[in-house]
Amino acid sequence: MRFIFKTDYDQDIRIFKHSGYWYSYSILLLVLAMAPFVLGNYLQSQLVFVFIYATVGISLLILVGFTGQASLGHAAFLAIGAYTSAYCQQHGVPFVVYFPLAGILTGMVGVLVGFPALRLQGIYLVIATISFGAIVEEILARWESVTHGNEGMKLRTLELFGQAVPRDSPGFYFLCLAVLILVILATLNLLRSPTGRAFVAIRDSETAAKSMGIDVAAYKVRSFGISATITGLAGCLYAHKLSFISPEMFTLLLSIEFIIVIIIGGIFSLHGAVLGAIFIVMIDPFLTTLKDDLPGMIGNLVHVFGADVPTASKVQDQAASIASAPGLKGAIYGLIIVGFILFEPTGLYGRWLKIKLYFQTFPMYKAATFKRQKTYVKSERNR
Amino acid sequence: MKHIALKAGLLGTAIALAATPSFAQTKTTNQGISANEIVVGTHQDLSGPIKGWGVPVSNGMKMAVDEINAAGGIHGRKIKLVIEDSGYDPKKAVLATQKMIERDKIFSMIGAMGSPTVLAAQDAVLDAGITQLFPLTAAEFTYKFDPAKPQERLKFNNLLPYVESTRAALKHMIDANKVQKPCIMYQDDEYGKNVLDGFEKQLQAMNIKAAAVTSYKRGVSDFSAQVSKMKADGCDLVVLGTVIRETIGAMAEAKKLGWDVTFLGATPTNVLEVPVLGKEAVEGLYAAAAFEIPYEDTAKGKVKEWLTNYKKQFGTDANTQAIIGYNAIMTFAHYANEAGKDLTGQKLLDAMEGGKPFDDIFGNPTTKFSKTNHLASTVTQVQKVEKGRWVVVKGGLMF
Repeated sequence: MRFIFKTDYDQDIRIFKHSGYWYSYSILLLVLAMAPFVLGNYLQSQLVFVFIYATVGISLLILVGFTGQASLGHAAFLAIGAYTSAYCQQHGVPFVVYFPLAGILTGMVGVLVGFPALRLQGIYLVIATISFGAIVEEILARWESVTHGNEGMKLRTLELFGQAVPRDSPGFYFLCLAVLILVILATLNLLRSPTGRAFVAIRDSETAAKSMGIDVAAYKVRSFGISATITGLAGCLYAHKLSFISPEMFTLLLSIEFIIVIIIGGIFSLHGAVLGAIFIVMIDPFLTTLKDDLPGMIGNLVHVFGADVPTASKVQDQAASIASAPGLKGAIYGLIIVGFILFEPTGLYGRWLKIKLYFQTFPMYKAATFKRQKTYVKSERNR
Repeated sequence: MKHIALKAGLLGTAIALAATPSFAQTKTTNQGISANEIVVGTHQDLSGPIKGWGVPVSNGMKMAVDEINAAGGIHGRKIKLVIEDSGYDPKKAVLATQKMIERDKIFSMIGAMGSPTVLAAQDAVLDAGITQLFPLTAAEFTYKFDPAKPQERLKFNNLLPYVESTRAALKHMIDANKVQKPCIMYQDDEYGKNVLDGFEKQLQAMNIKAAAVTSYKRGVSDFSAQVSKMKADGCDLVVLGTVIRETIGAMAEAKKLGWDVTFLGATPTNVLEVPVLGKEAVEGLYAAAAFEIPYEDTAKGKVKEWLTNYKKQFGTDANTQAIIGYNAIMTFAHYANEAGKDLTGQKLLDAMEGGKPFDDIFGNPTTKFSKTNHLASTVTQVQKVEKGRWVVVKGGLMF
């Protein structure tokens, strides 16, 4: 167990709390830097989607996790970012211009959504953001001169300083990684600033925040704006990764998927967004791999336990037919999510903290450490 | 002397190659072909909003594969079909496609499902030099290609496009019924837009004005506003850019209003489910179609056998979707067979562009591709629901 001896107030707000952070994150960065040269396109694509989803997850954490404002409209923000990029690219605007523009424009829309949302709370805010999503979807389908309606838009290969960056190249991978890292650092910085503290204060108790002189309305709008901006940036990358966008891709379902990212990952820490994104993006390919390999393994196992070859191959065929039943993957996916919400409401990151503490304090670990203490606080705050 | 002849030969070939205004070299792959196997892949929606299409299509494909393998395969090579579920999610479609290319090493992508899913994954397929054959979307991008982009030559489709089929069927209906005030009700998405396009283009070509244009959002079940508007505008033909439920809903609404009008559906309405679920409501519905829908008790020969086999294997009656899936594999097998014993990507491409026709067992219009045309056919039929069954009214239609 590590005890940090604090000698300076700055230590409280340091991003890297102790040397362990430097080691572990350097190793992680090194692994990520090598990944595109070691992995094939398939795994690299998965990682790119993880980066994009994690970026959206972080934007949601700022709004939902830290300011306590619910949103089921983030697919719409993503769409605005994506369509801004597609439209600008068609009109010859370079990437270095339309990438920030996608963020800024989406941020402005976010602020506009934030204003009417000031008067709404909880489930009503959810309804408002859902309807915002529906409105955006409808506009995308109708505004044909800009969005090409339901025909959708195709994006050309991304060009950065005259250099083509194909969507499956290491270059695109590093671009997405860089955006994610910058967004994480910016968010960490934001959270230790007065603005971030105000967000958390609003989340924990609006009345208390107001009584301390925090302009609740202004900060809520700001939170919406920041969150939308980040999502807009992710939308630009998302559009380039898919190379084709149409209104039916940005539905409520996608917004729900984003919310699941932070619920699965853990809603109280930025780690949650990344872990949740890994889960959401990679669970489907993982189940696919299982579907392909498990029957063979079962067949071998049966053979090892003494069955003859024809019986083993018969068992293997049967396992294969069960494994590839349509919809099975979806059902398993759903079960995992339900399981998480029932048994691990603090998400993957919460589980990781528990595991870490278990080993740090072994054999003195006690489960009650993570019991919720501040029952008077309305939100789940574990920091 | 010999050397000179060889050099002259090479030079001749080089000149011939240079002189042909042919396309830049298309990169093709030979992965997935082994001594006794050809691996092909597809991504279907088995769990999403259009699984009503994805499941029977993949059944039909499996059946075709079994049949070909039972008969000894293609020049001794068995087909191995990899099916992945995309759930109609473009992200999953991209990942599934990359997985099939890298892990399963597919030789060809056959009958992939859906417009956004196929389009998002298309570059990955073409860049790997894999042929993208007969996706289940009639959108233009699946067969129109730019000669300047050599990889685009790997795209082929055999579905009847919505625009062309709507135009052909509409032309026939207008000529046959002396229609003066045609109307349309279409679904608010890419498919509906295509039907609307066909409708507008054909009316413009025939110099007729549309009496009413109405639309609905996917998923709604009430069409009273649209139908009353079209009735009030005095329409004498209603074109339906609808799928199954909406077709039935719109026609039921018209019956309820006591409005006796002719309905013409686009190709997606021409499926078994419409008369089965719609019963009396859809009696008299016309539809654009590619081929005659077979019924087990009236089918003959090979088709009857096929229908019985399908029912035996999957426990449900075969439908149009299953036939389309079956045909996708069969068409591939035909051209792979044509390509010869030492199959390569280039040879398959040459065989397909060679212009040899393919006829299926269901009486689809003949499939034929060329170096410039990668769409099998635009020949349309008009069919009508009579006593709960689809009956061919007129075939061989073009606009």
